[in-house]
Amino acid sequence: MKLNKSLYIFLLLLFLYGISAIPRLYGQAVPGKDENIPFLVTFGKYGETSWGDDDFNAIFFFTILKDFNQQFYIRVFDPDCGGEHDEIQGNFDTRTMFSIYGGKGVDPEKNEDSRGLYNGLNYKEGNLLASKVFGSEARYDNQYYTFGPFNPTEGDFNEKWNSYIFKIVCEGVTGDDGNLYRYFLSRDPNNNIPIEGANAFTYEYTFRMWNDFRSVAHIYPFVDTGIVSIKQHNFDWDADGNILVVSRYKQGIPIPISEENDWEESTIPIEPEEENSSLDFQFHKRQGELVKNNNVVITLENQRGDAIKFFSSPIGGVPVYIPKTTITKITPKK
Amino acid sequence: MMKRICYIITVVLLVSFVSLQTRAQQPSVYEVKRMSFNSDAFSEISPVMVNDGIIFCSNRRFSALKDRTAYDGHRLYNIYLAERKDTSGWIKPKELISERSSLFNNGPLCFAPEGKTVYFTSEVETGTAAKDKKFTNHSGIFIAELSGTDLVSLRPFSYNNPQYEVGQPSLSSDGKYLFFASDMPGGQGGSDLYYCEYLNEEWSDPVNLGPKVNSSGAENYPYIHPSGKLYFASSRPGGIGKLDVYFTILNYGTWDEPVLLPEPINSPSDDFAFVAAVDLQTGYFSSNRGTNDDIYEFISTIIRKVDCGTLEENNYCYRFQEENAVKFDTMPFRYEWKFGDGESAIGPVVEHCYSGQGTYLVQLDVVNLVTKEVLYNEKSDTLVLKDIEQPYISAPERINMGERIVVSADSTNLPGWEIAQYYWNFGDETIRIGKEVDKIYLKPGTYNIQLIVSTEPEPGGIVRKACISKNIIVIPQP
Repeated sequence: MKLNKSLYIFLLLLFLYGISAIPRLYGQAVPGKDENIPFLVTFGKYGETSWGDDDFNAIFFFTILKDFNQQFYIRVFDPDCGGEHDEIQGNFDTRTMFSIYGGKGVDPEKNEDSRGLYNGLNYKEGNLLASKVFGSEARYDNQYYTFGPFNPTEGDFNEKWNSYIFKIVCEGVTGDDGNLYRYFLSRDPNNNIPIEGANAFTYEYTFRMWNDFRSVAHIYPFVDTGIVSIKQHNFDWDADGNILVVSRYKQGIPIPISEENDWEESTIPIEPEEENSSLDFQFHKRQGELVKNNNVVITLENQRGDAIKFFSSPIGGVPVYIPKTTITKITPKK
Repeated sequence: MMKRICYIITVVLLVSFVSLQTRAQQPSVYEVKRMSFNSDAFSEISPVMVNDGIIFCSNRRFSALKDRTAYDGHRLYNIYLAERKDTSGWIKPKELISERSSLFNNGPLCFAPEGKTVYFTSEVETGTAAKDKKFTNHSGIFIAELSGTDLVSLRPFSYNNPQYEVGQPSLSSDGKYLFFASDMPGGQGGSDLYYCEYLNEEWSDPVNLGPKVNSSGAENYPYIHPSGKLYFASSRPGGIGKLDVYFTILNYGTWDEPVLLPEPINSPSDDFAFVAAVDLQTGYFSSNRGTNDDIYEFISTIIRKVDCGTLEENNYCYRFQEENAVKFDTMPFRYEWKFGDGESAIGPVVEHCYSGQGTYLVQLDVVNLVTKEVLYNEKSDTLVLKDIEQPYISAPERINMGERIVVSADSTNLPGWEIAQYYWNFGDETIRIGKEVDKIYLKPGTYNIQLIVSTEPEPGGIVRKACISKNIIVIPQP
């Protein structure tokens, strides 16, 4: 009896370990679970940049492994701009368009315009697979709207990642309110059922900070081979706390943060040991007077000026600092 | 009055007893033995070490039929070569002959560095007066070339004088200085030691070695060793008896106070004409401790290891460093080190000295200054500190000349060793045995002390030995 109980506990622990060891199960939620970011945010195009959105659009890419051959869905939580969660400016008059693209021209590694980093570039290249405009609509408030079904092969294939790439563009087509929302890539139109091996990334992260001193948000850029330094640009941080860059090699390097409606940039050296792993950009809110409804933007580029991806599920897992201590014998002072 | 005399006698006896006891505790550093080529009835003195054997002086019979005596009837001394037959035996000595061999005393002698030119003592001729039996001829130094067993091309030394003795020459190893004994006028009394310097192809005027070396008694038989030590015999007070062997060394232009060689080289009898090999471990001297003058060999029993490690002090001081915190020094973290001995320090780089050996758990707590979060025991290391396994010399590093110090091997750390003997070589040709011994250095300088420990024979007859050394600086008394 005692043996059976021990066996039960062992199997339970093994099961729990198995779950914890598969971070990619959470990979399709955007923002990801490890990122601890409440919402993405996109303002109507008549909004002020000082409210935290520098370009009134947001582009995310989903990757689906080639091996996955079933239909899938892209679900948007609280796609409307009104009711709960969203940021009102006067009255809710914002209309937001969500568009999903597949096919050639989507893959941002082949088509840099697709990244949408600079105004005037055609970030909408690819085949438009679905699109819908949302205003202030109670039936979508605090609810999911599901795009799809899509076939994986409708995406733009990337050999390096062995995945099909899909792009979702969110645009504030009119109005000045802030639409706060989340994505989920799902196998099911009505439930969030993750797709194994899938992930999501962006080149410019525009998101809402927590209205809570204690919550720490994270984003996880991937450091590819050959990167020796990273230049970060952050926008409209309202001097709200600190940003620390953590890796298995860095316990927490502080980087300068921007004031309201302002950009701040700095360069972070990358050690060879940090290549092919993720960094952890931690956003610690200022203690004391709470900065509420703070929407911020961050982008990264490497030493060659190439934009760096932020993955919703950190590649290689969440980086944990590994302390490196040395103990050396010295000559005693006389 | 009688009571006072008894008291004095008691004190003197007590001091003598203590002195005897102290001396008895000192192990002998030399072993001596009488050379087998000595004759029983005649004298052998003044050995000179040469490649093939020993050259010495003797008044032994020249032949069974013919004998040689001086005008006063004393037997004449002449020069002989004893060659080695093997490691222990000697071929019968043969004479080195010169034109003076049958007429005068010849020897002691020495060789020039090139090994052929001989400086030897003989007698200064004074014409017909010398044939008077009441006349005492005086000795002088003569120079000759050795050709086989013949001394040829004889010429007198410039400073020979029929009015006084000049003899017993010894040349320095570079040939520039000639030491000799003489009772020439102007000395300290009796026979004194002098030297001449070879300048511009001639010997300079004799220089008296001064009152530290020359006493009112007799100083003679000088021998300048390649190390610079000048050995000589003296009848000065303070010796063991009659003539004793001393050495001195030139120290910044001044001859040091002579040091008496220990027993058994010196004895209550006359001990003189000391010579030694370059390493001072072996040599010869003359003594009349037997029935007459004989040559003795000495072997130093002082153990001095060539391969002897230098004492290392136990060092428990360490630098603790968070490498990445040093590299990225703007990180907002505070590093708190706990050293495992109750001590702690704050900083990315800290230093700490432990009091002694032991096992210490070093822990690093990190405080995130942004979040105020404390990461307890973020990194831990076990530090095992052990004393160095070595014999240990506890002794001061600097002492005054004449100061009594105690040196100890108490802190020796050789686990598993059953140490049977602690042997101390003080670097001044003295030794002591014991775990803790005392010592007085009589001369300033830097001395290298060696401590050699050895175990009782272990199974298989193995005796383990270990040696450690330490320098000690002896400074002159202010």
